[in-house]
Amino acid sequence: MEQRRTDEDWKNCFAQLGPALLLFARRWANCRADAEDIVQEAFVRFWRRDYSLQNRALLYAAVRSAALDRLRKEGRRARREANVARDGPEHAEPAFTQLDEGQQLLADAVERLPDEQREVVILKIWNELTFAEIARVLEISQNTAASRYRYALGALKKTLQPYE
Amino acid sequence: MSDFSELEAELKKLRPAPVSAELRARIAGALAQPDPAPTAGLLPRRRRRINFWSLGLGLAGAAALVLVWLGRFPQIPQSQSPAIAQGNETGMAQPPSLQRAESVGETETGGPGLRPSRLTRVVFHRRDEGLIFSPNQSERPLRRVRFATRDTMQWRNPLTGASLRVTYPAEQVVLTPVSFQ
Repeated sequence: MEQRRTDEDWKNCFAQLGPALLLFARRWANCRADAEDIVQEAFVRFWRRDYSLQNRALLYAAVRSAALDRLRKEGRRARREANVARDGPEHAEPAFTQLDEGQQLLADAVERLPDEQREVVILKIWNELTFAEIARVLEISQNTAASRYRYALGALKKTLQPYE
Repeated sequence: MSDFSELEAELKKLRPAPVSAELRARIAGALAQPDPAPTAGLLPRRRRRINFWSLGLGLAGAAALVLVWLGRFPQIPQSQSPAIAQGNETGMAQPPSLQRAESVGETETGGPGLRPSRLTRVVFHRRDEGLIFSPNQSERPLRRVRFATRDTMQWRNPLTGASLRVTYPAEQVVLTPVSFQ
């Protein structure tokens, strides 16, 4: 039962997943162009291997793998790169489309989350992965993924409370 | 997670920035190209599995080679070996124990004969039978390990090039005193 896939298939798939993939890839990239390169590499690899959307956790794993490969090729340690990516003056482009005042505060609070928590939130909220899938993508346990998510939401709630 | 349901709903309202048309065009171009590396990156690496048969046979072979190297197989004195060959008129080999027994009385016959050239011992099964209490050494337990082996002995006549090989199964039980200190 081989299904022939057309150009429209990948376009639909990418239209559905692309923005959240890009959001996920920002963690390892210094700028939007780098994030796009990572997403391109991962998506092309994913699509060529005929993985279906039911296995889309593999796509996020591919993004992570492509990003780490890229960092290694550049000869810098992944952690250091991630910190640079987070702390640098890059990412002038907003991660989210606009936004009223309250949403802007929330988006800023998400950006300020620690990397480990932010990536779990991104995978859970905007990519709609289960904790089991997140655990597989990030190579951590399900409990760790769930607790990072809880900590992140707790931190966001605390951040936003003064404004409520 | 119900405490956060409102917050989750607010987060879901945030829409990630859309993908640029340029990226879509680049992906379309890349997908139009032939795949340069058919399995790069995505396919999980095949797990290495240990083949215990190969490992066991390899270790047994190595052990046999070491035994041969060290010359630990029963050496038949060279002066006796002609007697072994001549003592058996049919030319049939006999087990080493018999040969040795015969050779005692035939050492004086002389002449070229079969000489031991190789011994291999392949351990194909090892079973740890656990601790036992020997009736003689009841205070101290012993660990009993049973080895099933296949021994092959080979003799060769250096003058004629004739060789003889005997293979037989054997079983060896090793008792090792166990200390609980």
